[in-house]
Amino acid sequence: MRGDLLTAKALTFRYGDRDVLAGVDLRVGEGEVSVLLGPNGAGKSTLLKIFSGLLRPHVGEVTVLGRSPSSYGRREMAKILSVVGQDPPLDFPMSVEEYVMLGRFPHQGFFDAGTAEDLREVERALAMTELADLGGRGLHEISAGERQRATVARAIAQGARVMLLDEPTAYLDIYHRVAFYEIITRLKETCGVSALIASHDLSLCAEYGERIFLMSGGKVKASGTPEEVLTPGNVLAAFGVAVLCDRNPATGAVRVTPQRKA
Amino acid sequence: MRSSTLVFPLLAAAFVGAAALSLSVGPVQLSLGQVFSAITGGSAGGVSGETAARVVLTLRLPRILLGVLVGGALSSSGVAFQALLRNPLADPYILGVSGGAAVGAMTAKLLLPGDSFLPLPICAFLGAAIAASAVFLLARRRSGISRERLILMGVIIGAFLNALIMMMVALAPPGRIPGAVYWLMGDLSLGTLGRVGMLAPYVAAGLVLLFLLSRGMDLLLLGDEVAFQSGLSVERVKTAVYLTASLLAGTVVAVSGLIGFVGLIVPHGARSIVGSGHRRLLPAAFLLGGTFLIVADVLARTVGPSGELPVGAVTALAGAPFFLYLLRRNGRKP
Repeated sequence: MRGDLLTAKALTFRYGDRDVLAGVDLRVGEGEVSVLLGPNGAGKSTLLKIFSGLLRPHVGEVTVLGRSPSSYGRREMAKILSVVGQDPPLDFPMSVEEYVMLGRFPHQGFFDAGTAEDLREVERALAMTELADLGGRGLHEISAGERQRATVARAIAQGARVMLLDEPTAYLDIYHRVAFYEIITRLKETCGVSALIASHDLSLCAEYGERIFLMSGGKVKASGTPEEVLTPGNVLAAFGVAVLCDRNPATGAVRVTPQRKA
Repeated sequence: MRSSTLVFPLLAAAFVGAAALSLSVGPVQLSLGQVFSAITGGSAGGVSGETAARVVLTLRLPRILLGVLVGGALSSSGVAFQALLRNPLADPYILGVSGGAAVGAMTAKLLLPGDSFLPLPICAFLGAAIAASAVFLLARRRSGISRERLILMGVIIGAFLNALIMMMVALAPPGRIPGAVYWLMGDLSLGTLGRVGMLAPYVAAGLVLLFLLSRGMDLLLLGDEVAFQSGLSVERVKTAVYLTASLLAGTVVAVSGLIGFVGLIVPHGARSIVGSGHRRLLPAAFLLGGTFLIVADVLARTVGPSGELPVGAVTALAGAPFFLYLLRRNGRKP
């Protein structure tokens, strides 16, 4: 691990009187693809929102490149950290290309929007997400999976050093799920972009993730390499599901297969 | 991104056409040649040149200029409220903002001496801003502002404000303020160059501010969280958009009364032509809004055999069905 990109120390966050995060400790290194795994309600989305500065922790400390998220100016922060979360809007007509171009906002002044560099970055992001042919189509004219790839494209165009992704593959078929993790790997290898991905794809995360944080009940229950974290005991404790953990004979990565209840 | 070369010339041409129509049509029918000579100071045949000049310069031209400012400002305000609230059904009239402006303007007229030009738009702006915040606060819930609830609150606040307007008209000394129909249904017939001159600086300032906020409004369409994470100072931009949209709607209402649905119909039309990017949408909505209101005013002036229809009645006749259409269409969204 090189320098710490994101850290959380003894992090607590409450919605009302419910502790969504109850003492989370976590470090994400620069140039890593890390994955947050855990059941629904484990606090993954909340943790991502705290890192992006949307929410402030009640107790504990978070840092982005050594500083508190709230100490950054908005544009400065957006150049460091991009987020893939909510779906794009459908109420207002907008083409895929226009939508992805909005990712360039932190790099633009008022009078120099749509520069050659902006266009190049948008084109690159569309090509990486296999949306180049759909650039002129309206967001309401494409499928849910294509829209999800457009949100990834917008984050790529934002050109940040770290991407936070909240269930970015939820609507994707298996081809595009694999393609998504390939994109993340390529961004890391070619541009040094780190990623923190909240996901439910256990086996795909084992294949592509370098570090896994297994969360449940507002805590990180286990962290480390996929081999260290994805054990039948850990998965049963976090998800309440009995699984078989073996190795993929082709790649050697951990493979998690749910066991049918007897 | 759509091809833009022809869009703005076409919008401008439609606008000029509507203006020419409005200059020539009325109780005194004038040919375009007569209109032209009246404006340029030449002599014309038919109706005496002097009459034509008077009709064009003192009656119709100020009315058209007022129509452009009012239609353009209401449309721009509608664009801004729709982006601010991410709600395609938002419109200053439906949100009760225009009603607040009317109450503010009437208060200024009743309490302040003379035909005080300066405080009038300011009070209208304050009335608009207060009504808008009241509607937002009442519609807000922990989960955010739902589209239908917002409209419902706007309608209820609007109904209350309309009642206030009626009450103020009834209680005002005779002749002190225009009648209820003027306030509730809108009217451009009081357009004089003086009023146009009073309104123009406010509208110009509002338009410039909105234009400067256009990229922020683009991001607001993505939702507050995404806009924030994309580098926008969301609260600051939203406050600025809210105040500017209230300024535009409020100052316009102070001189024209309540003209509804312009800020609903026109932004949709403009978006279908130039898309949702606000740097193109705002100028397009202004041009289209001016054109729309001039045409509505021509209809209002000429449709009845005697007398005029309030222009707000014409816009509501077109706007209410359009609102229903949008409501149904949005209900079918995936």
